[in-house]
Amino acid sequence: MKRNTIVLSVVLVLLAAFAWAGWANWESRKQAAEKRLAMVAKAELVANSSGDVPKFASPLVNNPAPDFALEDLNGKKVSLASYRGKAVLINFWATWCGPCKIETPWLVELRNQYASKGFEILGVSLDDLDPDDKKMLAEEKRDIAKFAAQEHMQYPVLIDGGSIDKPYGGLDALPTSYFVDRNGKVVAAQLGLTSKDDIEGNIRKALSE
Amino acid sequence: MIREGNWGPPISMGAPCLASETWESTTLDQPRCHPERSEGSAFCAPSGCRFDLRKIALFLPLVLSAFAAPAQSPLADSPTRSILHGAAVEYLFPEQITVLASKPSPVALHFRIAPGFHINSHTPKEDYLIPTTFSVPEDSNVRLESASYPNGADFTLPLDPSTKLSVYTGEFTIQAHIVAQRGNHLVQASLHYQACDKNACMPPKTITVPIDVIGK
Repeated sequence: MKRNTIVLSVVLVLLAAFAWAGWANWESRKQAAEKRLAMVAKAELVANSSGDVPKFASPLVNNPAPDFALEDLNGKKVSLASYRGKAVLINFWATWCGPCKIETPWLVELRNQYASKGFEILGVSLDDLDPDDKKMLAEEKRDIAKFAAQEHMQYPVLIDGGSIDKPYGGLDALPTSYFVDRNGKVVAAQLGLTSKDDIEGNIRKALSE
Repeated sequence: MIREGNWGPPISMGAPCLASETWESTTLDQPRCHPERSEGSAFCAPSGCRFDLRKIALFLPLVLSAFAAPAQSPLADSPTRSILHGAAVEYLFPEQITVLASKPSPVALHFRIAPGFHINSHTPKEDYLIPTTFSVPEDSNVRLESASYPNGADFTLPLDPSTKLSVYTGEFTIQAHIVAQRGNHLVQASLHYQACDKNACMPPKTITVPIDVIGK
């Protein structure tokens, strides 16, 4: 009986230790996962209250837009910081993205409409580039430029967007847009094709109208 | 046995004894039900109860697994869900084929596209769209002689009904002809594609198509 009691006590202590270790491990992993999620600003789709089309929720909203400096199609470095004082729409797109092609005319029209109020669009291409193959790189840049010309993208078109995808949530799908106010704060984000009205509403929010 | 309110059925540890029996264990190896010490309990009476250590040993992993399971996915019950992670296309079969060595042999490769997504066919209608292509590494002992792709189905995005796309949806099959050297070769072939749903597109992706090719 005494032996059994000792063994039972040991088992119970072990159980308690394992339970504590399991809980501590779970808690630690949960905190690490949340931290990692916040660090990469991982975007999520969350069901809206009506339960139909999921709404894009990005941790970048209400936070400073991560700065970047990318080349435009002429090889000139363009930084986000140089647009401080203007409302900016950072639009991630690619030549292979059909929905991007649909929304581009809306962006062109809205840019023309709001440019005088201090609004600009930065079109960041996520098309793959081969920096080690000069001939291929030139061809890829030419394809992007051709597409931009066809779509009348008169705003700055920046290349190599893949190099800044992490701070912008990984960019798992396109088009993805971030709306930045005059102080450099992200005020809204959109994933996928929405509507011209939605985009305009977010531009007005960035302009504080 | 204490039962209050709606706490559900009592938890029993191991197989119950008969109504007139309680557990008794003198050693780890010899548990048995004792017919004379019944306290009306199905398992263990409050008085005179002895614990079956083997049962506890069996019970221990169950308790531990209850704590281990949530540790694998702390955010699994999060109301949010990730977007478009993983592959939109899955290779189905065959996993293994036997062919005549050094002779072109047909093989039908079956794939499945996730519901709600489409991928460009091998011959998209626009130059800027990325075609679906199957390939076999050149340094393997298996050569891809030819690949015949299914025709794409016409598809239009709701907001652009004037632009027709040529796409695959659901399941599709690529008819390949391969030439294998004699022997057993695990080929890591590839399928390159670019997937979209009606509102957004995922970046181009290449998935591995593992096939065990036996050349005889």
